[in-house]
Amino acid sequence: MNAREINVSGTLVWYYYICPREVWLIGHQITADQDDANVSLGRFIQDYTYPRERKELAVGQSKMDVFRVTDEGLVIGEVKKSSKFKSSARMQLAFYLSELRQRGIEARGELRFPKEKRKEEVVLNEQTERELDKVCREILRILYLPAPPEPKKISFCRRCAYAEFCWS
Amino acid sequence: MKKTLYIFSSGELSRKDNTLFFETEEGRRFIPVEDTGEIMIFGEVTVNKRLLEFLSVKEIMLHFFNYHGYYMGSFYPREHLNSGFMTLRQAEHYLDEERRLNIAKEFVRGAARNIRQVLKYYHGREKDVARQINAVENLIAPIDECKDIPTLMALEGNIRDHYYHAFDEIVGNPDFIFQERTRRPPKNYLNTLISFGNSLMYTICLSEIYKTHLDPRIGYLHSTNFRRFTLNLDLAEIFKPIIVDRLIFSLLGKKMITKKSFDRVTEGIMMKEKARKCFVENLDEKLKTTIKHRDIGRPVSYRRLIRLELYKIEKHLMGEKEYQAFVAGW
Ligand code: SF4
Repeated sequence: MNAREINVSGTLVWYYYICPREVWLIGHQITADQDDANVSLGRFIQDYTYPRERKELAVGQSKMDVFRVTDEGLVIGEVKKSSKFKSSARMQLAFYLSELRQRGIEARGELRFPKEKRKEEVVLNEQTERELDKVCREILRILYLPAPPEPKKISFCRRCAYAEFCWS
Repeated sequence: MKKTLYIFSSGELSRKDNTLFFETEEGRRFIPVEDTGEIMIFGEVTVNKRLLEFLSVKEIMLHFFNYHGYYMGSFYPREHLNSGFMTLRQAEHYLDEERRLNIAKEFVRGAARNIRQVLKYYHGREKDVARQINAVENLIAPIDECKDIPTLMALEGNIRDHYYHAFDEIVGNPDFIFQERTRRPPKNYLNTLISFGNSLMYTICLSEIYKTHLDPRIGYLHSTNFRRFTLNLDLAEIFKPIIVDRLIFSLLGKKMITKKSFDRVTEGIMMKEKARKCFVENLDEKLKTTIKHRDIGRPVSYRRLIRLELYKIEKHLMGEKEYQAFVAGW
């Protein structure tokens, strides 16, 4: 792995809360099985929900969805399949907010769960920033491991596109 | 799962908007690109660059077979999955003799164990192959002792000899006697079937490699010269006995293929088109059959088993888990 490739991204933050092994695999470009049904579902939801107001904003390595530009600033967000992995999604969004802040843009975050018709606010306060900092360090530590952390059977494995890789 | 498209007729394969279009003298047909995994071409087919570009984007491989049904080559779209990490590991395991030998041994061991499994199955069905089972079994332990690749390959050839000698007893049909293994061109019916089945197996393994981060040019048992695909040959060793050979035995047993399925031509013996179709259809069926996988906990098709094998190789290269070849349990 060369230095340029080592970079924490929103995706890695998301996976960090689910499975550290997945963080390592993604970080080493060992992409998951593209035929996997869940990979396709994710793409489908991304492509077909909120078509009208959605715009993508690319900052650094991240891509985020712009929902609104209000008087108080930007509202960016993420659309997720379900609220099941809420802490993952919260921290992923917090990561985007902090990438924006580093570029002088203040924004608020909004998580949307279209299937459940729910949304949730995310703000970047001191506590979130501290947590984010810890997560980023931890992700880097994992990425620098010579081999991936061992697979551990968790409930996410069932829907994970790496399942056949991990358990073969 | 995506389908394998077999083309036997002659015509032109092209791109029409977002689908594939095949036109022959008899007619035309659209082929949805989204559920096509690979295309095997047996007929005289014209293709153009636009089509190849399209197949590249859609990550579909083309495999070409000549008039006699021998494999000619493949269109392997520029690698779409890339992990520098994996490529380095793969090369590193090739360059280091001991590591290379380790992986090569496991391929041979896997092949030998699957051979033994096939023989045992027929032994259980009253076929007199006890001598061959014994001989193969006696050659499995010495695999560990091999100090270099040439010795290992010689041992492998030895195992295969014993195995092929059991074919006459298993097939029990004077039209299909084994005699000796002849390749290009095969000199008898049985060898023609084996060659045809093996070529198909090599291309299927190649297509599966394409879906991983491995480079098909770096094999371990078969030497690499970077101009040929070799990892697929390694991998096919494991699956040939349990997929190709079993299929041949069953096609012959059911008289779906008889000596009438062949033509004698100047170059040797050739399968008739109808026989080839029958072969690929049944191979396709077989690859779709599922078995229960102990660790994954859900049914896995034979085709998928090939992919899982590649995942295990990747994990070995990553230093995660020592590679253990798949051995059929029945
Ligand atoms: S299958 Fe399980 S262990 Fe493997 S990456 Fe996915 S979640 Fe992690």
